[in-house]
Amino acid sequence: MRETLAECERAGHRDGLAAGLGPALDGAGADAAPGSVAALPSAAVPPRASLVPHPLAAREGVSFVRRPARHRTAAPERLTALAARLAAVRLGLTRRLAERAVDHLSGRIGGGEPLIRRQLVLGTLADARVELEVARRTLRVAGTLPAAVAEVHDRLTELDWELAKLLGGSGYAGDGALRGVVVSRLVANCWVAREATGEAVP
Amino acid sequence: MTPATPAADVGGRTATAGAAGSPAVAAAATGRATGTAAARSLPPAVRDLVAGCRELGAELRTLALAVDRAPEDHRLLRRCGALELLRVVGTPERFRPHPVPAWAREFTASCLGRVAANIELARGDAGVLNACAAPSLAGFTVDALGDERQQELFYGELARTGCWTFFGMTEPEHGSDATALRTRLDRDPAGGFLMHGTKRYVANAERGSVGVVFARVGPTPLSIRAVLLKRPAPGFTGSPLEMLGLRGARIGEMRFDAVPVPEEHVLGRHLPLSRRGLWGANRAFTVVRLQIAAQALGVAHAIHDQVRALRPGRPGHDLVTARLDAARQLLYDTAAEVDARPDDREPACVAKLHTTHLAVRTARWAERELPPSALAGHPLLEKWCRDVCAFEFMDGTTNILRLAVAPAPASHREGS
Ligand SMILES: Cc1cc2nc3c(=O)[nH]c(=O)nc-3n(C[C@H](O)[C@H](O)[C@H](O)COP(=O)(O)OP(=O)(O)OC[C@H]3O[C@@H](n4cnc5c(N)ncnc54)[C@H](O)[C@@H]3O)c2cc1C
Repeated sequence: MRETLAECERAGHRDGLAAGLGPALDGAGADAAPGSVAALPSAAVPPRASLVPHPLAAREGVSFVRRPARHRTAAPERLTALAARLAAVRLGLTRRLAERAVDHLSGRIGGGEPLIRRQLVLGTLADARVELEVARRTLRVAGTLPAAVAEVHDRLTELDWELAKLLGGSGYAGDGALRGVVVSRLVANCWVAREATGEAVP
Repeated sequence: MTPATPAADVGGRTATAGAAGSPAVAAAATGRATGTAAARSLPPAVRDLVAGCRELGAELRTLALAVDRAPEDHRLLRRCGALELLRVVGTPERFRPHPVPAWAREFTASCLGRVAANIELARGDAGVLNACAAPSLAGFTVDALGDERQQELFYGELARTGCWTFFGMTEPEHGSDATALRTRLDRDPAGGFLMHGTKRYVANAERGSVGVVFARVGPTPLSIRAVLLKRPAPGFTGSPLEMLGLRGARIGEMRFDAVPVPEEHVLGRHLPLSRRGLWGANRAFTVVRLQIAAQALGVAHAIHDQVRALRPGRPGHDLVTARLDAARQLLYDTAAEVDARPDDREPACVAKLHTTHLAVRTARWAERELPPSALAGHPLLEKWCRDVCAFEFMDGTTNILRLAVAPAPASHREGS
């Protein structure tokens, strides 16, 4: 498990979402998904599948596929393992985003000095580093516990946003620096089988 | 370019809806405007405006997915009666090409009116709202810094052509630190100035025909000027950028290669030096900041409405409703404060900090509250989860606002 998670994180970090999604799914098809729509690498979409169009996802090499009418959702343990591998892929993407933010802010001057020297910015980057270490350990020791895996996904979504803010307008518009993490959130939403908690926190 | 008389259509329909009195009465009759304590505390004129804007919001909603899919499709936008009415409503009364319904007049009368209206409009759809060819931030700046002829030039163009406007401040190398902008106004030996530089992340950068651009005539912060620009102009080009959300805003890049700027297009020439550039427009920025905050809250409401429709009766709804109501009260109170003390900038920073954060949190809550694949399966909800992030970057990022509202150090006497 540990080696698989590390491999998924590496794939996400090095090659991006679609490349990581293959090993994360480990052969699971649309019928295994817990909801009515599955997310698959576009290259692995079977012919005649019913697609939910999503241009941003398409540009990341990911497709949303309606689950066949007659299907059997994967067993809960298998889905949790899948969700843990997917979280590892997202970890790789988040790490990539953090590196991108450091790079961007190191070259950007505000108030006469590089933004990377601003303490509010450094605080966010420091918190991100801590969160990433904790997320990785959580997957390693609790990757079979559905609630723990779902929580890692939630924290990665939050962390991605904190890092996205650091890119300013350049993340939200232009070369698509954030597209991978935006689509990864949608992919996770398709594969993480959680019973809605009813909590309105945080 | 503008459609026949769509404003009359929309205004007429609203007026009919309000046959038994004001639109507020009509909306209440359909059970939609009973509202919160915050809403009930509004003056009657603002309540009427809110009810009217709720109707316009519903019309904006019908275009939401189409605009997200193809924001470049202008025909769609030109056919939208609500957008046409909003364009005219957002124009100062004396420059309006035709009158607006009575309930809509409050929109330009107070900051409270603008804020209350923007919540409802964005609850319809913020992406379409931001596609409106309205005076927007450029208009506020012209109001604050322009002399009579400059105002006539700007609003005259708008009334004649119904064009989009632009407000060019951000540059590829400088955003939050606007005082460091590099776009230059060089003296043209033939008279006036020549503009050189690039702006980026500017709404309507490609399609806007008239607007305001900030540039410097010298090295100090006091040498920054706002100028009126019209298209077409030699050396002035623009292109849109791909956006993750709020795609109706069509932000993009504008390039200036020796663009001629006549002397009389420099805004604020009649004002003291200290009021000409960035500082002169500060009051306007405060109102716009609150409008952005209001739009963030509107999107949060839209998300909550949809979750409630998909999963009625869940225990979390009351808490989310309470959060949204509190944010609405914060916005109303702040807007009233701005109306009373327009130079006090901090309250608007507090309100924007909170509402943008709350809106993003509400989107995350929605994701957890709904069954798997709800985002891919509900395109509007998924779109709003992208749209809601845009407000962070508009009119002050979180960090910049935090720095603005952080307390100054207390003064300690030596030895204490
Ligand atoms: C939808 C949308 C519409 C827009 N419309 C317009 C428009 O019409 N006209 C226009 O001119 N611009 C527009 N913008 C651009 C927007 O104003 C800028 O993106 C914003 O000012 C931030 O600037 P930046 O992107 O350069 O980020 P930067 O200023 O480079 O900031 C990057 C990061 O560093 C942080 N940071 C910056 N300075 C400090 C500091 N001193 N201390 C701590 N942290 C700091 C920021 O908070 C941010 O997280 C728009 C942007 C968007 C997304």
